[in-house]
Formats: sequence, C-alpha cells, structure tokens
Amino acid sequence: MIPYRLSLDYTLHPGWLEPFVEGLRAGQAVARRCADCGRVSFPPVRICDCGSVDGEWVALSGRAIIRARTTGADGDFALVQFVGADTSAVVRLLDMPEGATEGQLAASDHDLPQLCLGPVDGGQSA
Amino acid sequence: MRDSQVIVTGAAQTPFNRRKDGTGFRDWALDAFEAARLMACLDRADIDALFVASESDVFSLQLNPASILATELGLTGAAGMRCEAGGASGQVAVHAGVQAVASGSARQVAVVGVDPSASSLSGDKMRTLYGFSFDAWTDGMTGLTATALYALSWQVFAAEQGLGEAALAAVTKQNRGNAMANPDAHLPREHSVDEIAESPMIADPYRRLHCSPLSDGAAALILTHADHAPAARRKAPRVVGIGGATDHAQLGARSRPGDFTAKQKAMARACVLAGIAPKDIGLTEIYDSYAGAQLQGLMALGLTGDVAADLHAGAFAPDGRCPVNLSGGLMGQGAPVGAVGVGQVATCARLLEGRYHPGLQLQSPPRYALADTHGGLCTTAAVTILENGGAA
Ligand SMILES: [Zn+2]
Repeated sequence: MIPYRLSLDYTLHPGWLEPFVEGLRAGQAVARRCADCGRVSFPPVRICDCGSVDGEWVALSGRAIIRARTTGADGDFALVQFVGADTSAVVRLLDMPEGATEGQLAASDHDLPQLCLGPVDGGQSA
Repeated sequence: MRDSQVIVTGAAQTPFNRRKDGTGFRDWALDAFEAARLMACLDRADIDALFVASESDVFSLQLNPASILATELGLTGAAGMRCEAGGASGQVAVHAGVQAVASGSARQVAVVGVDPSASSLSGDKMRTLYGFSFDAWTDGMTGLTATALYALSWQVFAAEQGLGEAALAAVTKQNRGNAMANPDAHLPREHSVDEIAESPMIADPYRRLHCSPLSDGAAALILTHADHAPAARRKAPRVVGIGGATDHAQLGARSRPGDFTAKQKAMARACVLAGIAPKDIGLTEIYDSYAGAQLQGLMALGLTGDVAADLHAGAFAPDGRCPVNLSGGLMGQGAPVGAVGVGQVATCARLLEGRYHPGLQLQSPPRYALADTHGGLCTTAAVTILENGGAA
C-alpha cells in the first residue's frame, strides 16, 4: 500500500460565464436572453437551441417555482424554474419548508458560484 | 455495418468488487487483457492498437494511462489511446476500437477498461468527484451529487409513466438476484422489499440499495478484422452497430428532464448501421447506475412502449422477452467506471456465444444483443449492437 496525499488549489476562470458567476455571488439571477428568438436561459446557455450565438445578459427577480425536490443524506436539492426563464435549473435548497412551492435565489455563502434557493419570505436565512 | 468485419474474438473481465488483496489497477488490466487475448488465440505482437478506458487520472493518480498500460500489457510499439466520456468511457473506447478495425487502420485491437473506483479514494471523496461529472461550474459547485440529480430526473419520468417504489424495488431485486449466479459480481444479494424500503434515504426516492456501488476491476476485448481472425474465432459475435449522442449537460436545459434523449438518438444511429429495429434486440446490458435509470433507459432505447406493464409482466427477467442485465448490471455486478462499458460488451459477446456463467447462460442465445452505457445524467450516450456469429 502506498499512502499518498494530494491537495490541489485551483484557480478557475469562468470566461463568458463571468456575469452569471458574479451575479450568484451577489444573490442575483443573471440570465442569458437570445438576441434572435428571445429565449431566456438560466443557468445561461451559450448557444441557443435556435442556433444563435448572440445574446444579452438580463437580471431576473430570483423568484423560482419548485418542479421536483429530493431530500436525504446527500442534502436538499430541487429542479426549479426561475420566473422569467424558459429553462429550468438545479439548485441546493436552504432551510426550505416542506411543501414549499417556490423560493428566492440566495447569495452564495461561500466564495463559490452556488445556485442556492431559500424561502421566499426568509431572505435573512441565507 | 450489416456485413460487419469486426469480430469480438476475445472478451473477459476480472471480478468487480472492492479489492483488499493488495493488487492494483495494473494487475487487473493485465488479468483481463490476458484472458481476452488467450480467448482470441492471438499473440501480443498481433495487436496493432490499444484503446484504454479510464474515467479520471484522479482515481488512479496516473496521467497518460494508455502509455503505462501499453508497457504493462507487453504491447510496447502498438498505437495507444485513452478514451473518456464519463460513465460511458468504456463504451466509447469500444467504439474507437471498432472504428479502427472497420476502417482498416488496424487488424486487431485491444480495448481495456479499468478504474480503481473503490480502493484508491474514500467513498465520500469519490462522490464529491462524481459531482463534477455534471456541469462543474453550475451544478457541481452546490455539492450536488449524482444520486440527487438522478433522483430529480427519475421523479419527472416516474410521474409521467405512473411508476413508484415498487418499480424501483423490482429492478433492484432482479439485478442483485441475477448477480447471485455471477461469480464476478460485487453485490450478489437476495433483497426483500422491506430491506430495500428500510435502507437509508440518500436522495428521495433513491435509497442506498437503489444505487450502484463503487467497484474496482477491469474488462478487456480483442476486436479483430474478419480477414485476420484465427479460424477458431471466425464465428464469434460481430459488432454490427455503434451509436453515440449527447444531450444538454445541464438537466434544466432539457425540455423533457425525465427522458434520456441522447440514448434514444444513439440507439437510432446504431440500429441504422445494424439494419435492425429495437424490437430485434434479444438481450441487453443496460446502464443502471440507479434502479430508475434502468427503466428510463429501456424506454429511451425503444425496448418497451409501456415500461410499467412490461416490467410487471417479466419481459426483462432472465426468462423474459428481452433479458436485462443478466450480469447483475452496475447495481449487482459493480461499477469500476472505465471497465463498465467494456464489460457490458464482453458480457453480451459471451452470452451470444454461449460462453457466459452457466447459471446465467441463455440456452438459446438470441441473434442480437445490446450494450448501453452513458456518462453524466445520460449526457453522453454510447450503445453497441452485437450479432451472433453462429458459434453458439
Ligand atoms: Zn434563440
């Protein structure tokens, strides 16, 4: 047996995703709207299903509807659709009451671009 | 590929399990390769190219594994390439090998899949790394696990198909039950429904027993052009169709998040090459990373039009219309990632040829078998169709 410890510190560069990443840090849902067909994606899709490469960044309210939720030893996650987006997103839920049907994007509590959703009326819980 | 010249002359694997005997991935790769090579009746010098499937350097702490294994397997001088597509790494390595032989660029190739998924890192570290199998910068940063993501996709599918816990239990019981007759299997078990229902909840509705394990092991194939096959192996199964496809990496970007659309496309492409329809498939090894994924896969592959009814009627049981995962699948046999797709093709070939484990061998092997693998949440799909060469 050869015990070996490896510790790595990455510096990741989000490139075109920078507005999305910065938005998450500030608790803001920054989405991509296709310049050709108007489809809004969040998380942003770089090249729209219509084939267009051109788009602009738009801020959504951060409110999201919960479509499916899974809880257990791995944590609390959901497939949600942010209001104003045509696509869905997978988020970590923070202190979300059982049976909740919607939530509000919460600022990441680490220095990471984390998609986290908290209760609508409990913004301070994040 | 209807008149395919690509013969599976050798097909083998090591046991899939958690190794505690001090052996490592180089040992398992050699064991599987040598068994496949001897079955193919070939010398090492006959191998023109080596295709290695290994999901991540982080598991083995070995970058450039193809060069290391070429040396370890005694193939120095052969062309070498490492293939990766997440969970589908093994199957895309098979595709690379098939293409090399079919194109005439190689006469015989070795395809070796291997990963130390159980013994080199802790389970928690492996699960963290697997979280980066999805879009690392959107999904991965929240600590989202594979189990949670699969659970969300399954919930959408299950609601549409009218499936519930009973279906998950049926798949779990069948795959682990099949594994009881497979001496290479990691988790041969006779589960009761209560035992499954009482196992810890990982990500609702997936409980621990609905999940495939982390395993160590290797699998190997020798693919030979018909013009160069030893006489004794000319009637071995042939690869008549391969197909691959991708889907949006982000689950939320898919219009139907419960559907394995990439699998459907990959299957359509493979069927066109083989000149057959999904209904012609007589047995299949399906990528059952989770119990529900097997049912999502069956639908996407077109092997059923009503998965709930066919599951209930026993269509996928060992004596059913289309036996599924006779090996036990990932859930029963185990999942050393890079070895999985290679092992699935090896299992199909051995079953078609009548050379599988006696307790699982079909007495009348069908004409066609299907090996199905995917990476991510069916983000990269890869399937292979084999035709009985008449040896059985
Ligand atoms: Zn568009």
